[in-house]
Amino acid sequence: MEVLTSLAHGFAVALEPGNLLWCFVGVFLGTIVGVLPGLGPPATIAMLLPLTFHMNPAGAIIMLAGIYYGAKYGGSTTSILLNVPGESASVVTCIDGYQMARNGRAGAALGIAAIASFVAGTVGVVGLMLIAPPVARFALSFSSPEYFALMSLGLALVVLLAGRSLVKALLAALVGLWISSIGTDLFSATSRFVFGTMDLLSGIDFIVVAIGLFAIGEVLANMETREEAQMIAVPKGLRNLLPTWQDLKDCRFAFLNGSIVGFFVGVLPGGGSTIASFLSYGLEKAVSRRREQFGKGVVEGVAAPEGANNSETGGALVPLLTLGIPGSGTTAILLAALVLWGFKPGPLFIPENPDLFWGLVASMYIGNVMLLVLNLPLVPLFAQVLRLPPYVMYPIILGVSVVGVYSESGSLFGLALLAGFGLLGYLMRKIDYPSAPLILGLALGGGMERALRQSLMMSEGNLSILVSRPISAAILSLAGLVLLIPLFNKVNAWRLQALEQE
Amino acid sequence: MRMQTRILALAAIAALAPAALAQGFVPTRPVEVVVHTGPGGGNDVLARAIAVIAEKEHLLPVRMQVVNRPGGNGNLSMAYVAEKRGDPNTIGLFTANMLTVYLVSPEAKVTVRDLTPIARLVLEPAVIAVKADAPYKTLADFIEAAKKNPGQLKQSGGSITSRDNVVRQLLQKATGTRWAYISFPGGGERIAALLGGHVDLMVIEPEEAGEHIRAGSMRVLAQVSEHRLPGYPNVPTLKEAGFDVPAVPQIRGVVAPPGIPKENIAYWEDFFRRLTLTVSWKKYLQDNQFEDGYQNSAELAKFFDSFTGQLRDILKEAGVKTVR
Repeated sequence: MEVLTSLAHGFAVALEPGNLLWCFVGVFLGTIVGVLPGLGPPATIAMLLPLTFHMNPAGAIIMLAGIYYGAKYGGSTTSILLNVPGESASVVTCIDGYQMARNGRAGAALGIAAIASFVAGTVGVVGLMLIAPPVARFALSFSSPEYFALMSLGLALVVLLAGRSLVKALLAALVGLWISSIGTDLFSATSRFVFGTMDLLSGIDFIVVAIGLFAIGEVLANMETREEAQMIAVPKGLRNLLPTWQDLKDCRFAFLNGSIVGFFVGVLPGGGSTIASFLSYGLEKAVSRRREQFGKGVVEGVAAPEGANNSETGGALVPLLTLGIPGSGTTAILLAALVLWGFKPGPLFIPENPDLFWGLVASMYIGNVMLLVLNLPLVPLFAQVLRLPPYVMYPIILGVSVVGVYSESGSLFGLALLAGFGLLGYLMRKIDYPSAPLILGLALGGGMERALRQSLMMSEGNLSILVSRPISAAILSLAGLVLLIPLFNKVNAWRLQALEQE
Repeated sequence: MRMQTRILALAAIAALAPAALAQGFVPTRPVEVVVHTGPGGGNDVLARAIAVIAEKEHLLPVRMQVVNRPGGNGNLSMAYVAEKRGDPNTIGLFTANMLTVYLVSPEAKVTVRDLTPIARLVLEPAVIAVKADAPYKTLADFIEAAKKNPGQLKQSGGSITSRDNVVRQLLQKATGTRWAYISFPGGGERIAALLGGHVDLMVIEPEEAGEHIRAGSMRVLAQVSEHRLPGYPNVPTLKEAGFDVPAVPQIRGVVAPPGIPKENIAYWEDFFRRLTLTVSWKKYLQDNQFEDGYQNSAELAKFFDSFTGQLRDILKEAGVKTVR
């Protein structure tokens, strides 16, 4: 009851014409920022920060949060259409999203991404509204051993991302882990694999590798087959450009999975939307009845990660608003913004600023509706991009990739890396190595190494800390189960074979 | 080191220059403020605050534009400023970390000392905090416990070259104790580790700790500051608590490209001196519980030298391999 009164009050704040306008400005900017690769929400928010000094704080936080969750909607667009991940959280979306586009279902993929974002984004806000304080306390019981277990679970998913050969997938994952170790070691300040250059001191950015392997590699591979480079079919008629009822039905579990996984990973200060999207994709595949079709363009493969990275925003605001603890780059700059406006983010922030908190929550419900209305009509429009002939399309992909990487790294060295990883992507396609495991290894490697070493520092080198803590032990067992999945598949195949022979 | 003397000489001239000399140069195109973090990092926020104050107080005829050059642990941004040799429309912000990186990374080719010192602006003090239900009421309690269980207690902090670890090293050396130091890349993770009871102690910024204290989840044992901070009138400084170790602040300030004419140095020195005198700047410092660390170009050059020497000793003591 109390929640409802507070929420009603929040809507009164959020529905003030000024705040409604800022909400729209935020989600609109967010969509644009999300669509453009490279330019992420932290950079946008930082650039807009000086402008917000003249605004009232409620309007300002509503707008900045709008940019944050709005960007997650747009992030899938270039993943699906061009195989260029718009941000790190949309890397997984490339796997099935781009395949759907190649099968002529780009519209369905974009549509389902928007719907999944809406559903999970809303669930994330519900979570933020109802269970923020207890969940934040629960998140504090997570520390390095638990993070290590969580990352292990993520890495175990490599067996699910493998194509025909598990060995090749494992090799690719190892290369990813190696790349993640490049740079200055946090614990000893030693430079690792930097080959004497300053440029590598802070490591190789995940998004550069992802764009290189996926987008540039794809372009290079497609150029070879240019005599038969047929264009991707774009079906005519609005109805064929949107997801069907069957698609929505197929995604029922993905919506739920994405919402829950995204929210809980988001709540953890060491989590992040990249891990959330990988985990929910893996979970979706692990429980799916048509596991073998993942990677060939199934709609759940888009819905789960896109849902997860939207629900993650609601989760990530939990430690920020209830404890003043930022878990990611974007929440860190939101924290800075709150301080600059004269607030004191911390455990007392919500009770002392109910208007601001409830206004924000209400605005996020409104913003998610706005985003759905804004994004669905764009789907047919964006899908037309695929009608472009290859000699226009490939330069566009290259251009978007180059601009994206340059705006992220701000250096020519970043572009050289992009070219290098593009060639690697091409090579991997030629010799049939899957690139997703490499990306997974790279995304998790750094955090996993840190968590392991932190755990061992806590226990003075005793490995038992990883299994003596209940949460960590439970997650590690789950990871063990995931590793057994291919074995089940084999046993199942034998069983079927045996049945046929009888 | 010849570069060093030249900068010192330049700086000395600039310091003596009459104000009239400063009139010789006025920026005519937007000024680039180079920072080594991405948007939202400490120096980025500072740069944007400076830009806002400069505009509000009409201190600069042109706009200030923040340029983010992340990467290379701060080295890439310094290299970028160094490349702009002689450019009067570029300045960069530094932190003390950049001095440390140069000491430990053989790959670092440019150092803060190759650039033209302009002004030191901010000293960020810190406080030493424990969880509210921890048994330690004073820093002496904690040190006593660390003596009884060598290596058992834990502190969360940033990288091994960060101020958090420097404070720990100084305390350990002064008291003959040792406890574990666990690095976390994000500030949020460090606090979460303390509040979750996974570590016992942390060095935290006063403003950040304030809210956790008010909510009753954190207790402050001592402050890493020469004088008691206004926000912590009842908490002893390290010296008052009986520990004779230097209060190492986090330091932020301004440098310019090498080889800029002396009237440009004078212009920027004057600009930042006037900036630090404004009401908006004083409020900014107060809101964040920072200390005014203003030093002019010549003082800053001297400070760079002495601080680098001090850091080198501390890092060696900590078992970090220094390369210079």
